[in-house]
Amino acid sequence: MELFELTALEIARKVRNREVSAAQVLESHLHHITAVDGVPGTLGGDQNTEPDKVHAFITLTADRARQQAAAIDAQIAAGQDPGPLAGVPVSIKDIFCVAGTASTAASKILANFTAPYTATAVERWEQAGAVVLGKVNLDEFTYGSSNESSAFQPAPRNPWNTAHVPGGSSGGSAAAVAALEGPISLGTDTAGSIRLPAAYCGVVGLKPTYGRVSRYGLIAFGSSLDCPGPLTRTVADSALALGAMAGADSRDATAATVPVPNYLAELEKDVRGLKIGLSPDYFRITYFDAASGDLMEQPVPASVRQAVLDGAQKLAQRGAEIVENIPMPHTKFGIPAYFVISRVEAASNLHRYDGVKYGYRTIGQVEDLRSLYRQSRAQGFGLQPKLRILMGMYVSAAQYSEQYYNRALRIRSLIRRDFDEAFQRVDTLLTPSTPAPAFAIGGIYGDSVLMQYADQLLVTGNHAGVPGISVPAGFEESGLPLGIHFFAPDFREDLLFRAGAAYEAASGPRNLAPAWVRGASSSLEVQS
Amino acid sequence: MEYEAVIGLETHIQLNTASKIFCSCKADSWNAAPNTNICPVCTGMPGVLPVLNRRVVEKGTLLAAAMHADLQPVSFFDRKNYFYPDLPKGYQISQYDRSLAKGGYMDVPQADGTLRRVTIWKLHMEEDAGKTKNDLISGSRRIDFNRCGVPLIEMVTGPDLRSADEAANYLTRLRQLLRWIGVSEADMEKGHLRCDANVSLRRKGETILNTKTEIKNVNSIEAVRTAIVKEIDRQSRAYEHGERIEAWTLEWDEDSQTLKKMRSKETEADYRYFREPDLLPVYLTDEWRAAILQDFPELPLARRARFMAGYGLPEYDAELLTAERSLSDYFEKAVQAYGGEAKRVSNWLMNDVLRMLNDSGKTTAQLALTPAYLADIIKLVEAGTINTNTGKGLLEKVNASGKSPEEIVRAEGLAKVSDDGAIRAVVEQVLAESPGEVAAYRGGKVGLIGFFTGQVMKKMQGKADAQKARALLEEMLR
Repeated sequence: MELFELTALEIARKVRNREVSAAQVLESHLHHITAVDGVPGTLGGDQNTEPDKVHAFITLTADRARQQAAAIDAQIAAGQDPGPLAGVPVSIKDIFCVAGTASTAASKILANFTAPYTATAVERWEQAGAVVLGKVNLDEFTYGSSNESSAFQPAPRNPWNTAHVPGGSSGGSAAAVAALEGPISLGTDTAGSIRLPAAYCGVVGLKPTYGRVSRYGLIAFGSSLDCPGPLTRTVADSALALGAMAGADSRDATAATVPVPNYLAELEKDVRGLKIGLSPDYFRITYFDAASGDLMEQPVPASVRQAVLDGAQKLAQRGAEIVENIPMPHTKFGIPAYFVISRVEAASNLHRYDGVKYGYRTIGQVEDLRSLYRQSRAQGFGLQPKLRILMGMYVSAAQYSEQYYNRALRIRSLIRRDFDEAFQRVDTLLTPSTPAPAFAIGGIYGDSVLMQYADQLLVTGNHAGVPGISVPAGFEESGLPLGIHFFAPDFREDLLFRAGAAYEAASGPRNLAPAWVRGASSSLEVQS
Repeated sequence: MEYEAVIGLETHIQLNTASKIFCSCKADSWNAAPNTNICPVCTGMPGVLPVLNRRVVEKGTLLAAAMHADLQPVSFFDRKNYFYPDLPKGYQISQYDRSLAKGGYMDVPQADGTLRRVTIWKLHMEEDAGKTKNDLISGSRRIDFNRCGVPLIEMVTGPDLRSADEAANYLTRLRQLLRWIGVSEADMEKGHLRCDANVSLRRKGETILNTKTEIKNVNSIEAVRTAIVKEIDRQSRAYEHGERIEAWTLEWDEDSQTLKKMRSKETEADYRYFREPDLLPVYLTDEWRAAILQDFPELPLARRARFMAGYGLPEYDAELLTAERSLSDYFEKAVQAYGGEAKRVSNWLMNDVLRMLNDSGKTTAQLALTPAYLADIIKLVEAGTINTNTGKGLLEKVNASGKSPEEIVRAEGLAKVSDDGAIRAVVEQVLAESPGEVAAYRGGKVGLIGFFTGQVMKKMQGKADAQKARALLEEMLR
């Protein structure tokens, strides 16, 4: 087995035991990345370049990583413990600031921005011994579920079928982890942006409780919804990664002061005695018909339903109690409310990109300040930020905010109440991750309404602030991965890990990466 | 036609906290080079977050209490969205519909002895923006972010003021109050206290509110007074000519002492306020509130009234002695140490100690002349131990050395000489040295008695009992 195939727990153990050096682990990964990732996404790049590669990265910071690995090895040599992530190579969604590296948000408007500070989540991983490989691609400013909207092309592709999207917005993270380009990636989840690509790429994606992980250094989308979280190949690695970054932060007033448990120890407890709920409201999709505007409803596909029920059965066999028919009546309003709330916050959060202080400024002649703003923003932002600005400005205008924004906030409270009531009866809720597996590249891009209904079963967790985890649940007939998902009450990520790990164990060994990905490095070695 | 002015003031008060409202940069950038007191947070870099400085809430709470406002147990920060180059985030973090305090008022004494009650319509915390300067030579705009994130209280009055003088009086009282409760340096020249004035006119006796104009950029109390006088004048002439008043924003030009039209306000700007998701609600718990207000001081007007009623001071004295809290504290301590008539202490303070303070630029807290020492000096004079003049000279000596008045009197032998024999000897000496003046006196120039007395005092270093010396001179010149 190659070093790049190891989990984070295995790597950290081997590095701490001096079985391998951090430098060896890093070089194995860098070598593998060269083989599978292809050209990085670049501004103005061609989306069709190397259609059989993964293209997870925007910026690979190999030299910085080598310095970090050397420092870890020096610590080991000096008899010190570098920490629980000793020598573990990680990638960072390019929505986080990392000092001295380009932090682009996959947007032209920040293409030239080098952050002078490091996000708390990244800083804590580094302090725990992680080695940062670089920055991975995403939808522009995280606005999307496919990564097609990135200004840095070619955009990431799904390693299980490179004609399909990896999902988004943490698509580069999911694709990187699935393609064995590092066992952990840091993503963000505003409406499913960690869990959806995790499901699409057959990896584990955790959205922690709002406030569990500091948002400092995370370029904001919907500030009341954004959650940093890990994408990993195993549930145990997810627990390891969360434990290394969770906790209060003096730089983020919304970071909770709730103590951080030992997640790895909790995870061993399995599911005996846990009450796991199923809700009929998570087995259907509600959407507005584009032509009539009517609210339509349809059940999730049989394969998705079956994956969840199969999961419930496996957990029941391990001693969990399955509770059916938990009502979650406001689930269907999650996407419309999200549309309004996230866009109001997004439009405001995007105000600072005005061509004045940093980032893109128009190179054209401008006659006054207004045209400097207009041209810089018109040229710097792609389609998705513009759509969000328009919608956000509209629904927060004085004459409409009661009708839209304040109404959406009331829906949000009702969704929260659904969870509060459910968690009086059960410990976790088991739901599908997504209504369908990854769609084909170009399949629905441009229809941002339709695309966001893919988040319908996940966004409720962002509204309510509760944590959720998507774990791989086998493959559809098409060969694309499926995921199942658990919700838990505030700050009960431990329950998610127990349920997820139990399901993982009950499912037996699984194919962690596509065959071509495993073979790619060796073929490279043959060539070289 | 007789018109009545209707004036409301919108003030921005810079709080004197050590650091800014949402980051750890220093709050005060006076004299700092542009963009040297900034950080990623106050310059709105991507991904950074505000963290509330609790001292801002505490100072805001003190001010709200002083304005008799209702402090809210829960208040929220909101985003006020607009584009401007010196607003780096593109929104200002402010409070909108659920601010720190509701209502409130201040009673302002007027020249005719009446009180004008000025109601408070708005009192909230917010961050300041930066400064934009147009560089006319290069044609560029220069932005200084130093002021971004400086903590402010915005306080807006109702349309309760009726003249330029009343507006000026309000500002004078507000400035006194801000310093009194220690929340702001309130220096208008430095922008610690900024004021916009809304002015409209109506016929006397009417209660309607007519279209108002807004005067901006007035940065001294005198400028506020002059600008309002001019605007009242302009509006009344316009009404006389049957013209309509439009809702202009006017800028006060200090150099030319004129008002200039900045823009007409056709529509209200839509700031699309919404709750700031990056900050938690401000929970002013009973415990916190009690801790903040634990040492809440007696306010200047109350103290002024008490000085008049309790100590029998004239209004003039009471006003002067309550101009600053430290001075009024000093006065009370001196009165207590003295134990006698308060007016005596007031006289010494107003005539001599205030001059020392003005000359040295010091505050009462920095004086080595403590209230107890001042009382000692007054008592020494009262008891006849030293002359009044010696006493006045002693003020400086005590302040310079920090020694007690008694110690200095003893060491320098300043005690008054009342012994007949000692004075008589000096009188004889003076008369012997000035035969011409003695002859002139005896010839009828009795005004020379002052000259002889002066000579005696001089020879005795001012310590002689002056009355006694004079009596002896008169006796021996007979």
